[in-house]
Amino acid sequence: MRKRLAGFWLLCVLFALPALAQDRTVTGKVTSSDDGSTLPGVSIQLKGTSRGTTTDSDGNYSLTNVPADARLVFSFIGTATQEIVVGNQSTLNVQLKADASQLSEVVVTAQGIERDRRSLGYSTQDVRGDVLAQRSEPNVLNALQGKLAGVNITGASGAPGASTNINIRGITSFNGSNQPLIVVDGIIFSNDLNQTENTLFGSQPANRLADVNPESIESINVLKGPAAAVLYGSRASAGAIVITTKTGRNMKGKTEVTVNSSYNIQNVSGLAELQNDYGQGTQNNFVNTSANSWGPKFGGPLTQVVTAQGETVPYQAYPNNVKDFYRQGSILQNSFNIASGDERRNFILAVGNTLQKGVIPNTKFNRTNVQVGGESRLNNGIKINGTVTYVQTVQQGVPGGNGGSAFGQLTRIPRSYDLMGRPYQNALGRSIYYNSPTQNHPLWSAYNETLQGQVDRVFGNIQIGYDVTKWLNVSYRATADTYTDRRKFVAAIGAARTPAGELREDIFFRSELNGDLIITAQKDNLFLEGLNASLLLGNNINQRKTQNPTIISQQLTIPGFENISNGSVFSASTESSTMRRLMGYYGQLSLGYQNYLFLELTGRVDKSSTLPKANNTYFYPSAAVSFVPTDAFKLNSNVLSYAKVRASIARVGRDADPYLLNSVFEPASYGNNAASITFPISVGTTSLPGFRIDDRIGNSSLTPEFVRSYEFGLNLGLFRNRASIDLAYFDTRSTNQIFNVSVSNSTGYDTRTTNVGSMRNRGIELVLNTTPVRLESGFKWDLILNFTRIRNKVEEIAPGVTQSPITGNAFIGINPSIVLGQPYGVIVGTANVRSPQGEYLINPNTGQFVPGLAGQVIANPNPDWTAGLTNNFSYKGLSLSVLFDTRQGGDLYSFSAADLRSQGHLKVTGVDRDQPRILPGVIEVTNTDGTKTYRPNNIQISAQNYWAGLGGLASEAAVFDATVYRLREVALNYSLPGSLIGKTPFGAISVGVSGRNLFFYAPNFFMDPEVNTQGAGNIQGLDLNGAPNTRNYGVNLRFTF
Amino acid sequence: MKVTTYKKFLLVPLMLSIGACSNFVDDINLDPNKPTAVTPPVLLPTALAGSAFANNGELNRFGSVVMNYLAGAAGSPAAYDIFNTNGADFGNQWRFDIYGGALVNYQKLIEAADQNNAKAYTGIAKIMKAYTFSIATDVWGDVPYSQALKGEEFIQPRIDKQEDIYKGNQSLGIQSLFDLIREGLTDLDAASTSKPAAEDIVYGGNIDSWKRAGYTLMLKLANTISRKEPQLATQVINEVLTKNLYINSNALDLNVKFGSNVGSTSPMWNLAIFASFSNELIMSTRFLNVLRPSATDPTKTDPRLAKFFTKPAADYVTIDNGFRGTLPSPSTNWSRYSPYVTGTSGEGPVRLLTNFQRAFILAESALILGTPGNPQTLYTEGITASMKLAGVADADIAAYLAANPAVATLTGTKEQQLEQIITQKWIAWTGNGLESWNDWRRTGYPRLTASQNAVGIDGTRPVRAAYITQEIERNPAFPNPGPQSNVKLWWDVD
Repeated sequence: MRKRLAGFWLLCVLFALPALAQDRTVTGKVTSSDDGSTLPGVSIQLKGTSRGTTTDSDGNYSLTNVPADARLVFSFIGTATQEIVVGNQSTLNVQLKADASQLSEVVVTAQGIERDRRSLGYSTQDVRGDVLAQRSEPNVLNALQGKLAGVNITGASGAPGASTNINIRGITSFNGSNQPLIVVDGIIFSNDLNQTENTLFGSQPANRLADVNPESIESINVLKGPAAAVLYGSRASAGAIVITTKTGRNMKGKTEVTVNSSYNIQNVSGLAELQNDYGQGTQNNFVNTSANSWGPKFGGPLTQVVTAQGETVPYQAYPNNVKDFYRQGSILQNSFNIASGDERRNFILAVGNTLQKGVIPNTKFNRTNVQVGGESRLNNGIKINGTVTYVQTVQQGVPGGNGGSAFGQLTRIPRSYDLMGRPYQNALGRSIYYNSPTQNHPLWSAYNETLQGQVDRVFGNIQIGYDVTKWLNVSYRATADTYTDRRKFVAAIGAARTPAGELREDIFFRSELNGDLIITAQKDNLFLEGLNASLLLGNNINQRKTQNPTIISQQLTIPGFENISNGSVFSASTESSTMRRLMGYYGQLSLGYQNYLFLELTGRVDKSSTLPKANNTYFYPSAAVSFVPTDAFKLNSNVLSYAKVRASIARVGRDADPYLLNSVFEPASYGNNAASITFPISVGTTSLPGFRIDDRIGNSSLTPEFVRSYEFGLNLGLFRNRASIDLAYFDTRSTNQIFNVSVSNSTGYDTRTTNVGSMRNRGIELVLNTTPVRLESGFKWDLILNFTRIRNKVEEIAPGVTQSPITGNAFIGINPSIVLGQPYGVIVGTANVRSPQGEYLINPNTGQFVPGLAGQVIANPNPDWTAGLTNNFSYKGLSLSVLFDTRQGGDLYSFSAADLRSQGHLKVTGVDRDQPRILPGVIEVTNTDGTKTYRPNNIQISAQNYWAGLGGLASEAAVFDATVYRLREVALNYSLPGSLIGKTPFGAISVGVSGRNLFFYAPNFFMDPEVNTQGAGNIQGLDLNGAPNTRNYGVNLRFTF
Repeated sequence: MKVTTYKKFLLVPLMLSIGACSNFVDDINLDPNKPTAVTPPVLLPTALAGSAFANNGELNRFGSVVMNYLAGAAGSPAAYDIFNTNGADFGNQWRFDIYGGALVNYQKLIEAADQNNAKAYTGIAKIMKAYTFSIATDVWGDVPYSQALKGEEFIQPRIDKQEDIYKGNQSLGIQSLFDLIREGLTDLDAASTSKPAAEDIVYGGNIDSWKRAGYTLMLKLANTISRKEPQLATQVINEVLTKNLYINSNALDLNVKFGSNVGSTSPMWNLAIFASFSNELIMSTRFLNVLRPSATDPTKTDPRLAKFFTKPAADYVTIDNGFRGTLPSPSTNWSRYSPYVTGTSGEGPVRLLTNFQRAFILAESALILGTPGNPQTLYTEGITASMKLAGVADADIAAYLAANPAVATLTGTKEQQLEQIITQKWIAWTGNGLESWNDWRRTGYPRLTASQNAVGIDGTRPVRAAYITQEIERNPAFPNPGPQSNVKLWWDVD
């Protein structure tokens, strides 16, 4: 520390070198050519020198010692740069023209540092708030889908508030969170996903970024690689999403009120097409308790049947019985902003409200946000700013998952079952269903097995900065993010998984505090002309606390009384708290030479509470370089307007989760949802506690894990920047992973925490921006293409270990895993045995596949590549945005599909059902000499045995290619022209219509493959009887005054 | 300028003060949620319940169906009923009940009790560890044993041969199950600093009963290998008979007790009676026909029928094994395991070693191995003990035996007498499919005919369980593909 401080003071001295004397002066005012408003902060550079100035808050500037032949270069964010010969003028007023494709602009990087884009040696991509707002999508992550290169975003389902997974540049940690760090206005913002139930069976809670109102976002900058994010520390090794909310900074002294309202309707989308020729039963017999549609054909001798409840009903198809379970949902969003002020003093008040009624009965997602913020710059060099937001989010969902849940049953509705036409419960409130009482009618489940949560969240920051001298600034920023999610889980008496009923009060409290001291010094023309330097030194203290008490009340007595006092057994109740702290020191030195060569060096030292004392302090550096040859060698032409090459290298260390160092004991329990006990158990009149060794073996010598990344990139501006290309190649290797390596269960354990392994990600990202058409009349067509291709490979696990499941809930035989030589997250299961020629082996006794081979990779959820194509058409006040995206390759493991098919509901199973079938494959014949030959399978089996034999749940036949093309988003907006609203109190009025997920085409799957039952997290590519997706469309209205 | 300089130095204490508070991160990483050490009394019930779950959970759904007490109406039992089972079955039993439940916690119990010489606990733990390992090897054959339960040392334990598990193998460092029990019995004889009480959900801390259970377990294991290793079996049985200490009354049965509250109930209560899988099991028509008048035996009505199974409707509602037609409706009328098996509200008990079992074992040994005792006397003792346990009145037992000489009296060749013994043992074991599955594989009795629609690997009844897929994935010591369910175990000689 002493050493670094000494270096710091030395730099201070260097910066203080006196400037040269001057003798001549040019003054003027810079305004916008669009509306004539003054432009503060415009950079004015004396060409060929490093000298210059910026305009003040009124747009005025003054530059001394200007030679007569000098050329002044005026540049400003979002405008075309102008170069003017001074001549003998002493007053020079300039109008700058807006230029959307301008490549030199300021971007917000790690720790809120603003940088000229051209100086960055790594990739970032920003998204303006207006492409997120008015998009009928309450979750900001979903609104980003298809718009970013290198970023994979997958929603869990269309259930209201269902979580969305995001990974930037692939998966870098075997075990830790691979979600990027989220920063909102400098606040490290929790995007956690808290689960009340086992994720195999739970409803789908929101990832906590859903607490942000998309309407309040000014811009989002995505810091993709570790190099970009290293100053944020360990958690940013998965990249960072830096969100800036709207402020009054750009109001130019005015006060503006913005009101935005939208209303959308939602419908279920992507349901499978089902057959309508055969009804309930098996092997052509009607069976009134069967979940199958292998019964007799409709229109035959069987015209009436008796239900499990003893009622006589017609035997016929109910073509919409499943579809009609879903209702039309809606999303009503209203927001209201008051923004006022200017660059020096401003404030914002933002209020937003979202009311979503889900397509699934009895589901909703409601959110209310209130934000106040402001900043003030005092004349004495002190700047104070702060913001605080309160959010209340209410989410209500319905559990899914195999078997006893609404969604577990919706794939098991026989085609002749009048699901929605008959009462679903009796006078006592018990379910009426074809296989009562062990399973329940989906509607009964929706109304009697619910999870409701209310999040109350406050987050905010206070920052005080002080300009010690012109070149030295000291600031301190304190941020806090805290929420309490109060969940109530209700499983009424008679629920399939808990027949005696169960209530849970599940409270998630989380609080994170960060304090950052940041000292920045900058000096132009350091040592030599044109060499600009800035140095940043920082200190971060971080504390994260969670508490999760869960009261579980079982064996309920009074029907409908949803208070925990209704139970008589509470022994399953639990409590869990964590606290972790981290202290970091970081520094960044940025050098720029002649505005075409840039170097940035950073380093950070972290000390974490979660690692053993001996290993808890670790250092990691990064370096990035950027070079603009078009400026350096004056290569600019009408074809090549701009070129930049960049490279970076970074290493990021990451600490462990808390409490991994020891082996521990925990309250014991046995069994699953079909039969279980939980200690303490009561035997006779005695209550007996029981503890067991936790199934993880601790490790008291853990060391941090590291991610090392190289990145090379190229930016090109072509045809006077009508087209621009941003290309990146990255290569990331994660080593020394803190991982719970699976061990043989016969050890008595399941995992052992160890530093192991190596994993590599390589990828290409491309962003292409063009304006194919720009007409004098004002018509413009912008086209933005992004493309991502990432290859992940697990290069090493642990000695002797070739595969290990990813931490999380999984069914045995369907394990999302790391496997040596395979991409992260492949699904390991039982594969059909194949002949040497690759054909399936058939059991000659049965005509079915021979027993499968365990431990095989049967699915890879990682896409080959993804791409998004945005078309923006604008003409005067009219704009139309159309976003297509596609995901090529990657697999989905679908319980829903396997269920529908093996049970004879799916359309294809109704085709030629009366014909016998032969499973594809060969029969092994052992010849007298011991050699083996293979003859084609010729054993005929019934359609039912065929489709069931092809594969039910745990089989490779449940794996489907998830390739999909999608019309993701269409938004049409019309801004009323000024001439129309000039005399009204309104500053601007715009109306629009928008739609999301309007159309998709999945060539190899009969439903929408973009589902992910387990939600945000490292486990991907599983559809375990979850909710389907939705299609949204609606109108919105925005006006300001 | 002077003022500015002064202000710059204000930063120095600020930076230093942050560097100084190194306590900020140290010593806060102690898990407040989970203890790092616990005492024997909280480990014992955990491990005992694990052994009961292993025997009485999914493996009992399998055993009850395969041994035709029940038939599979849907789900996994319907698959078992047509002899289909593979490595995707019983993973939870392997992982959560056997190795990661009972066994590892017996191991931790031994370690915790050894620290303060609480020999009563180590003795019980060793006996029950042997019992639970016998479940593993009798279901899967060769399994991890000598290197198992040592996660810090062996993350991929070796597979020990079933022969070595039963007999021990000095050169490989494998202690036999018998020696493990003997070690436990020695511990029980030694002075102990503390003894279990109510947390012993089997005997309530009665050490004498545990000794009897230990010796009875030796009988059971000797009986299991007696066809393959008659000499060793004879020697062990004689050792126990000489000691003359074993379960000799129904009150001494090794019963794991459960409770009636949700979260305390026995596995079979949930699986067959109460919870969401309960409509996957129904009484087998075949077993009904064994217990009541049939074409071949029109007079017999076993008094245990009404004790073992429910009859909610006018008559027993059953299906044949492997039946694939319309199930009887409504399911509330189905005949199911009675409270004899599950308890009135799930209390169980789960019977792991019983007095009737001991009597049948000794009857068989006397008959086949020539160990002391009269086969007929012991056989009658077994039937009587079973009937008493089921709650049949003494007079009714006597009347039944008198009226059914073909059942009551051992007649014919040794083989025929063996069939009688094992068939009666099968009836007595109603509710515990694993035990009678062991006997059936060992002796071929009771005689069972193939289910309707039988599939399996080759149409035959399973004689082992395939290795767990997850275990194959994690431990290269396991063969892949491993033996399927039609490959016999070491002790299964014919």
